[in-house]
Amino acid sequence: MSIWNYVVTAHKPTNVTHSCVGNFTSAQELNLIIAKCTRIEIHLLTPQGLQPLLDVPIYGRIATLELFRPHGEAQDLLFIATERYKFCVLQWDPETSELITRALGDVSDRIGRATDNGQIGIIDPDCRLIGLHLYDGLFKVIPFDNKGQLKEAFNIRLEELQVLDIKFLYGCQKPTIVVLYQDNKDARHIKTYEVVLKEKDFAEGSLSQTNLDNGAGLLIPVPMPLGGVIIIGEETIVYCSTTTFKAIPIRPSITRAYGRVDADGSRYLLSDHAGLLHLLVITHEKERVTGLKIELLGETSVASTISYLDNAFVFVGSSYGDSQLIKLNLQPDVKGSYVEVLERYVNLGPIVDFCVVDLERQGQGQVVTCSGAYKDGSLRIVRNGIGINEQASVELQGIKGMWSLRTSTDDPYDTFLVVSFISETRILAMNSEDELEETEIEGFYSQAQTLFCADAIHNQLVQVTASSVRLVSSLTREKLDEWHAPSGFSVNVATANASQVLLATGGGHLVYLEIGEGKLIEVKHAQLEYEISCLDINPIGENPNYSTLAVVGMWTDISVRIFSLPSLDLIVKEQLGGEIIPRSVLLCTFEGVSYLLCALGDGHLFNFLLNVSTGELSDRKKVSLGTQPITLRTFASKNTTHVFAASDRPTVIYSSNKKLLYSNVNLKEVSHMCPFNSAAFPDSLAIAKEGELTIGTIDDIQKLHIRSIPLGEYARRICHQEQTRTFAICSLKYCQTNSMEESETHFLRLLDDQTFEFISTYPLDAYECGCSVISCSFADDNNVYYCVGTAYVLPEENEPSKGRILVFLVEDGKLSLITEKETKGAVYSLNAFNGKLLAAINQKIQLYKWMLRDDGSRELQSEIGHHGHILALYVQTRGDFIVVGDLMKSISLLMYKHEEGQIEERARDYNANWMSAVEILDDDIYLGAENSFNLFTVRKNSDGATDEERGRLEVVGEYHLGEFVNRFRHGSLVMRLPDSDVGQIPTVIFGTVNGVIGVIASLPHDQYVFLEKLQSNLVKVIKGVGGLSHEHWRSFNNEKKTSDAKNFLDGDLIESFLDLSRSRMEEISKSMGVSVEELCKRVEEMTRLH
Amino acid sequence: MEGGPPKGKAASAGDTRAAPPGASKYLVNLPSRGLFSSTVISSNPGGMRVYVCDHDTSPPVEQVIKTNQTNILIRSLTLKKQKADSCAKDLKVKIAADSTRGKRSAERPVEGRTSSKRANLSSSNQREGSSTRLPEEFQNLTVERLRGLLKERGLSTKGKKDELIARLKDDSQSDCACDK
Repeated sequence: MSIWNYVVTAHKPTNVTHSCVGNFTSAQELNLIIAKCTRIEIHLLTPQGLQPLLDVPIYGRIATLELFRPHGEAQDLLFIATERYKFCVLQWDPETSELITRALGDVSDRIGRATDNGQIGIIDPDCRLIGLHLYDGLFKVIPFDNKGQLKEAFNIRLEELQVLDIKFLYGCQKPTIVVLYQDNKDARHIKTYEVVLKEKDFAEGSLSQTNLDNGAGLLIPVPMPLGGVIIIGEETIVYCSTTTFKAIPIRPSITRAYGRVDADGSRYLLSDHAGLLHLLVITHEKERVTGLKIELLGETSVASTISYLDNAFVFVGSSYGDSQLIKLNLQPDVKGSYVEVLERYVNLGPIVDFCVVDLERQGQGQVVTCSGAYKDGSLRIVRNGIGINEQASVELQGIKGMWSLRTSTDDPYDTFLVVSFISETRILAMNSEDELEETEIEGFYSQAQTLFCADAIHNQLVQVTASSVRLVSSLTREKLDEWHAPSGFSVNVATANASQVLLATGGGHLVYLEIGEGKLIEVKHAQLEYEISCLDINPIGENPNYSTLAVVGMWTDISVRIFSLPSLDLIVKEQLGGEIIPRSVLLCTFEGVSYLLCALGDGHLFNFLLNVSTGELSDRKKVSLGTQPITLRTFASKNTTHVFAASDRPTVIYSSNKKLLYSNVNLKEVSHMCPFNSAAFPDSLAIAKEGELTIGTIDDIQKLHIRSIPLGEYARRICHQEQTRTFAICSLKYCQTNSMEESETHFLRLLDDQTFEFISTYPLDAYECGCSVISCSFADDNNVYYCVGTAYVLPEENEPSKGRILVFLVEDGKLSLITEKETKGAVYSLNAFNGKLLAAINQKIQLYKWMLRDDGSRELQSEIGHHGHILALYVQTRGDFIVVGDLMKSISLLMYKHEEGQIEERARDYNANWMSAVEILDDDIYLGAENSFNLFTVRKNSDGATDEERGRLEVVGEYHLGEFVNRFRHGSLVMRLPDSDVGQIPTVIFGTVNGVIGVIASLPHDQYVFLEKLQSNLVKVIKGVGGLSHEHWRSFNNEKKTSDAKNFLDGDLIESFLDLSRSRMEEISKSMGVSVEELCKRVEEMTRLH
Repeated sequence: MEGGPPKGKAASAGDTRAAPPGASKYLVNLPSRGLFSSTVISSNPGGMRVYVCDHDTSPPVEQVIKTNQTNILIRSLTLKKQKADSCAKDLKVKIAADSTRGKRSAERPVEGRTSSKRANLSSSNQREGSSTRLPEEFQNLTVERLRGLLKERGLSTKGKKDELIARLKDDSQSDCACDK
């Protein structure tokens, strides 16, 4: 790999951190706005449910998200503050459908200690000011003027240093905050302050309450007319206002999120750490609060945010599990739950560990992640491409074509499947037992290969063979009419739709027939100069039964031509160039845009934009899908049309955001495909592959496919063993003992890699938890083992002082413990190393030998060690080199010397980075991620003149990813085609806390330079939402330093080039001096990395 | 490094997981504006349009918000000073200017008009401020400090202690007259 890296997101963040509801897109429309760390999603609430509108990238990690409405505004504005102390106020312009920046600001202070409990951003309910608590002991105020404009911000000193929550109270003369804080005796209290804008200072408010619940953590201000504040503790809930004080005890729980149900604030939804949803009710007589009531409603994902939508529908946003759309039912179900989960929104976060495997052995990587936390823990299998789920299959050799037919024009389902062979045609049909059975259509000619078949209007069927075209009644199955090919000529290729037939005979004759009731009418005949290789009349105009355009692919001059129907006048002739003839052409419409697709005999595909009224072609693009001839067919899935390209690399072509996308299908080689929507197999496809006919359903058409395996426990490490076809995971489960105390038990679990079922479990000791797991083999031993590193985490110890290395062999699907070795600390990392085992144990790197004892048993014997780390958390090896990621001392490079039997330090990076993951890119370049959400690369300087220079790892690349990376792994999510350029680019995959799966690709220098230039041009055109700067966002930033990004490119920005309008693309093309086509091609190439 | 463990003690779940009957009465009349009324609830989170922002996103010029960088104490002093000014408009300009000089003066509450630098050096946490000092207090000061006060007021520093005190008294009386 190289130092020139390209970082791109393959799976966007899915961890929902904030949500709010308001009239954002217009005064009449109600929106749900969801923040997913670095993106916001805008949804529209409709009578039919949630309608997604827009996915907006934000150049920052969102710390607060609030909707508010200043005086005189008709619709709500959106306030966003980022973790790097920027904020912006956004407004939706319904006319242009754009987000307008109303205000932008920098709220950082030169001095100040960032708060421990996270940033707080709140807006006064009467819109007099915005309050921010970003640094300990300071409260920042951004006042509004009376026109709703923001004024200069100022700080007010806040005496309370350990602030847990701050909220604005409702109905106060002066804006009043209520502060929940902890004093230096760990007692918790609330206090109120009025913000006196004139004096830019606080005045102490009348409401205060001391010595609250020790676990009080959340404040809920209650709107007028009740007013006051609710304090949610772990054991009590308190309501207090200046006149009233009410408290109720609750079952011990940690409340993480609340959502207000009624506008008057009399009901709230609360969600705790176990995902239990409660309804909190303030009972009141008029304006006098009489008490509190709490009722358990049911269970959801562990919520980080709750938004009541409308009509008993609630959005539950989660960081630890899938977000959900739930409905609150008036009556409980059989389990006593009032909660009905209507929809789950997949969340991969937090990805704690993952591995890259090729389960189907197709040369394409799949990522298996340890996702979610606590009860929502799961494994997720993330695969690029579309899956076919086999329903039935029969052995059938030599299929030359397939079509499905209906028994009548109005029948919603297909009945017949016509399968054509080299010298016969067979017809299969669903019988009454829903089995596929051979049958006959009397009017069809079954002693020859069928070239084309179709349903026609008036309950008729059309069959085209080499000698004739037959029209058959679908009701009586009798032949109604036949058109014979002129003697001496046979039909080579043919196509038809419900009312038209177009065929070509030898000698370049093109014949156009129309289908009448019981009649075939030859309408037009044309003589072309060359033989015809393929043709299509798929209707894409207004009439679904009749096409006004015909497209024809030609031998010899390698062209496609468009003719008008019925006159067969040539409209357009497009030379394809090259020597490969077109094998399949197709007219189709995606998202209202018409295309002409033209597939060649060598696996390449051209696509053109087609003007349906004039037949003109434009915007020619060429992509490579495989290496064999392609056959194109349309099919429908979920009422949307897609195209299936059958070849050695079957691909589904679809459109998203008016952009054509190509997604490969998890099948090896498909010769023919036809949609087969029968009553027994609805929405299915019939697929002919080597010697087999398969009927299967197709996944949703999207790029990444995620399969969830809920575990009900928290998986933290995962490893795959190819030889035994198993996964091993380290997981933990929370168990409840009798005394209401919760305890956690840790396990090593063995899973089958196809069914994902637990097949064997090894429980770890009390207090022992699994820290690392690998699959490896040792020198002089042919077995493949699972090695597990553990730590005893005792409550009284700061750092574990004891751990174990356990070596397991999988025998008959069971984990069998071969040997164990006690260690003097936590085994944070294990690596197979020169036939031995390398362990990172607390501050030490230790090498173990695999020894055979006299009695034939095995043991691990400590060989050598290397000290000198704070905590060696992440270790990667390559040859004799060992790269260590330290808790706080960045990356260091060690080397194992065989002769001396020593491990010694070669070089280190002297920056103080707190590491979260490391990976070796190549011999000299190492990649690291640290806990301020940055990536960096360092290079070994072997050619340095002095020892001092050689002992320093030079920082060569820096980048702010904005994501906390937990793991890097070499590998790729996509199939690497040997003939494509991107096939040669090495990639690393990473997984993050927010559920992002990303790809880092090392580019050749010239490509890097080209894309860097493109990026710098794009920054001028694609602006940061809210005026946030891209340069600032991507600059490396931690407590110690801030520096511009270098040697990393923002792939997400570069790939958004393809979403630009043509005029913007041209603008960039002009300043780059490169044609738009070339730019599109280069960027599309990059999109195929993920 | 990972999702983040739950803090504090955990709660029970299990047998109480089923909601007790009785929540029904609190679930009546949930707010509704007619949305989510149809039975067809469908959303396709994958099909969301990604926003590409190619228009100018810089905010209106006056809406680029920055934080007032004045130290909180100095600001509060200035504000109080301004307040005092509005009460006593004919306060000496010179004194007003003085009051913003030293940071240390900020530690003192309201009056803080001014104090001599030298006085600050010698005893910084003692409340001092020549103008507020009662004439009798001058007796308690050393000659050196009296001279300092005189120098600040631009008066002669010559003579014996009694003479110095008399000179200061004269001056502060005229000051008070001003104030009133």
